[in-house]
Amino acid sequence: MVRLLRHLGIDVEVPEGQTCCGQPAYNSGQPEEAQSMAEHTLEVFADAEYVVLPSGSCAGMMRCFYPGLVGSDARVTSLVERTYELSQFLRTVLEIDSLGSGLQGRRVAYHHGCHALRELGVKDEPVALLAGCGAEVVPWEADEECCGFGGLFSAKLPEVSAAMADRKIDTLPDVDFVTSTDGGCLLQLTGRGQKRGTGTEFVHLASALWRGVTR
Amino acid sequence: MSARDRILGRVREALREKDSVEHPGNFEGWRPKTPRSPVDGLVHLLEAAGGEVVHQPNLKAATSWLVTFCGDFDSSAVGESVPEALRPPVPVATPDIAPLGVSVARGAVAETGSLIMDARDGRRAQLLVPTHVVFLRVEHVYATLREALLDMSDDLPSAIGLHSGPSKSADIGQILVKGVHGPGRLVAVLIGGDE
Amino acid sequence: MSFSGPTNYRREAAKAIRDKPEVRDSVTAATRTFDAHRVHAWGQIDADRWRDWARDVKTHVLTHLDEYLEQAERQLTSNGARVHWAESADDALTILGEIVREHGVKRVVKAKSMLSEELGVNRHLEGLGVHVRETDLGEYIIQLLDEPPSHIVGPAIHRSVDDCRKLFHERLGTPLDADPDELAAAARDALRAEFLAADLGISGANFLAADSGTIALIENEGNIRLSTSLPRVHVAFVGIEKIVPRLEDVSAFLQLTSRAATGQPIGNFVSLIQGPRRSDEVDGPEEVHVVLVDNGRTSLLADEAAWEALRCVRCGACLNICPVYRQTGGHPYGWTYSGPIGAIIAPGMLGLKEALPLPHASSLCGACVDVCPVRIPIPELLVHWREKAVEQGLTPRVETVGLKAYAKLARRPGLFSAAGAVLRRVPLGLGGRALPVLGGWMQERSAPKSSEKSFLQMWKEGIE
Repeated sequence: MVRLLRHLGIDVEVPEGQTCCGQPAYNSGQPEEAQSMAEHTLEVFADAEYVVLPSGSCAGMMRCFYPGLVGSDARVTSLVERTYELSQFLRTVLEIDSLGSGLQGRRVAYHHGCHALRELGVKDEPVALLAGCGAEVVPWEADEECCGFGGLFSAKLPEVSAAMADRKIDTLPDVDFVTSTDGGCLLQLTGRGQKRGTGTEFVHLASALWRGVTR
Repeated sequence: MSARDRILGRVREALREKDSVEHPGNFEGWRPKTPRSPVDGLVHLLEAAGGEVVHQPNLKAATSWLVTFCGDFDSSAVGESVPEALRPPVPVATPDIAPLGVSVARGAVAETGSLIMDARDGRRAQLLVPTHVVFLRVEHVYATLREALLDMSDDLPSAIGLHSGPSKSADIGQILVKGVHGPGRLVAVLIGGDE
Repeated sequence: MSFSGPTNYRREAAKAIRDKPEVRDSVTAATRTFDAHRVHAWGQIDADRWRDWARDVKTHVLTHLDEYLEQAERQLTSNGARVHWAESADDALTILGEIVREHGVKRVVKAKSMLSEELGVNRHLEGLGVHVRETDLGEYIIQLLDEPPSHIVGPAIHRSVDDCRKLFHERLGTPLDADPDELAAAARDALRAEFLAADLGISGANFLAADSGTIALIENEGNIRLSTSLPRVHVAFVGIEKIVPRLEDVSAFLQLTSRAATGQPIGNFVSLIQGPRRSDEVDGPEEVHVVLVDNGRTSLLADEAAWEALRCVRCGACLNICPVYRQTGGHPYGWTYSGPIGAIIAPGMLGLKEALPLPHASSLCGACVDVCPVRIPIPELLVHWREKAVEQGLTPRVETVGLKAYAKLARRPGLFSAAGAVLRRVPLGLGGRALPVLGGWMQERSAPKSSEKSFLQMWKEGIE
């Protein structure tokens, strides 16, 4: 993602104090711990012009839940308004149509992670960017269904979580790779895919788009 | 203190800290995106649900149609509100054994494709027969269910039935079957209009 | 068959997935079909406005529930119906028992009613020596199989056509290769005899209009019309949250529920029942009893957040879209109401301890938010119950203490990085046994490959 943004002329800073947006605690019903992590995150990114995340779930946590958790004063609202998931940033702020033609001839399936899709409303952006690099984003019956990661859910209810991943994997068309905005989803699908020996390649959207850049 | 008082008491206690919310008023947004005249709307939905619709210009024509239709039946149950002219020309049988039932609908609703059946017409004849013929005047077709219910609210019988097609079920492996319990064949005869 | 309770959800879900893959297939196919129909039906109308209105009417009713309950009682009574109030399932069953005794009831036909399942009506009646027959085809099938319902709208969606063929062959004598129409005809004949012989009919209620004292019931088969018209006594069990202010409001709710549940503009048959037969009517029940049931609903109403779940119109749309529900169907949830709605009302109605782990049986994917016709904020309420579980000490300490430690670490970036470095070096196969969290992961998935360096390390070293 760093390479991609620099290639587009963006000055990238990675504040070293960053740790966790707090979502795992929030979703587990421990809002105090989540609030503490949220406050830390707000401090770390306070001076950023934009905050870009290679994660729909973290960006969703910040944009949608921080105001309720930490308070909706100007400090918070101004920061969350400047926070974007990567593909959202590329399309909405940088208004990128095409990064290059590095994915020409590639058949790709796109997994719509739940937070990006439903909390951020990110749906067309990743697909347009992939297609803009020449990829054929193929139809996939279960593309908008949850992969079963859900953070701690995958460890608490592993059998159901695995069945949800199987639903995704079993309906997958024949593609060169599968991509998505969220590391958690990719971890889940990769882990299950490897256990089942499917041989499918799962790639983060940032890496996929970097492959798309002609250089 | 009775159960009633205790339940109401718990309800009031539960609502003590909650803000009251006003009724939003009538629902105005309910218009299907492709508007049709009430009769056309009714026919479209009834047929889509597997019902049959017959148009007859007047009572005489409807009587004539019924005589022909009854050629396939050896008896019929007859609703209480069916006029003399629309009584089927076959022996009357009780609804539990009759192969056919003839009713008059109180009205119909275009937006849902429903015939409005009144309990005063006799519920058994509307429900137990395998083939159900329902006569209806075109002037009694309401555009919306809301209008129909408002119009009837001063004169409600013990029960109104909204019948919107032949009886059906998808409970056997998601496959559609007809005629489980209620009439498997519904024929709506619309009397009047330009036809 | 009765419900085993939610506590064993994980074990039951795992068993269902492992031992009955055909259930997962049947449920997935059925729920996808239902949802596709809903999408089509909502596409024909302005669904957003209609959902906002429905949410507001239901919220209004709930915040004036006592007034509307009293109004409904007045109206029903003036219509000639008898109104009873039941605080608990036992009370409701006692009331039913008295009616049965008073009328010498020997045979009962039942319309599909989730509330009657919740109360345990069938078992109770059988205990009184009364013959009870479920008349909804799906309920009939599961009654013959002695199974609880798997879904709010389609109780037998976990069963295939072949299952039905075998069942009807055994019980009704139909040929083993009978097609669905033959199976349906056999059921119709068998159940017709039951309708005609029944002394009492039992139903639930989809809605109860307070201004006219009207019970509204939606169906496709006609068995509800028959169950509430033929026997001389009709008993309707009505949850206190089913009230809607006006009959004209019911006109919209009938349509929205039908479109959400099965994609139809309205259910094939709708009953609008005011009370017993009038003197100028030739048939209909001589007595209509309406039992207003609490059974935990006032507890749910008292919750500062979860009371919104009482808006539910029992359409099943949330079950149809839920990727968790779809893997197993309803049985592992161990209670009448499964899926997302079950998970948010169980803690209020059964108590949080009894209802766990249902609020955790969700990845919080949010798909249900898009489909609920009355806009219940289901993921928010799941998190709400998880918070309460932590507050009440019902969440395992391993998790609460673990997250507290994690949060502390997250305020110390140096330590956070160091911890990450350690984790990257631990062979996760071994770590799985040490940390329960990792064990869960390792059971079903391969270990993630750790990178040599953390991203922050790479950044410090310089990224080309």
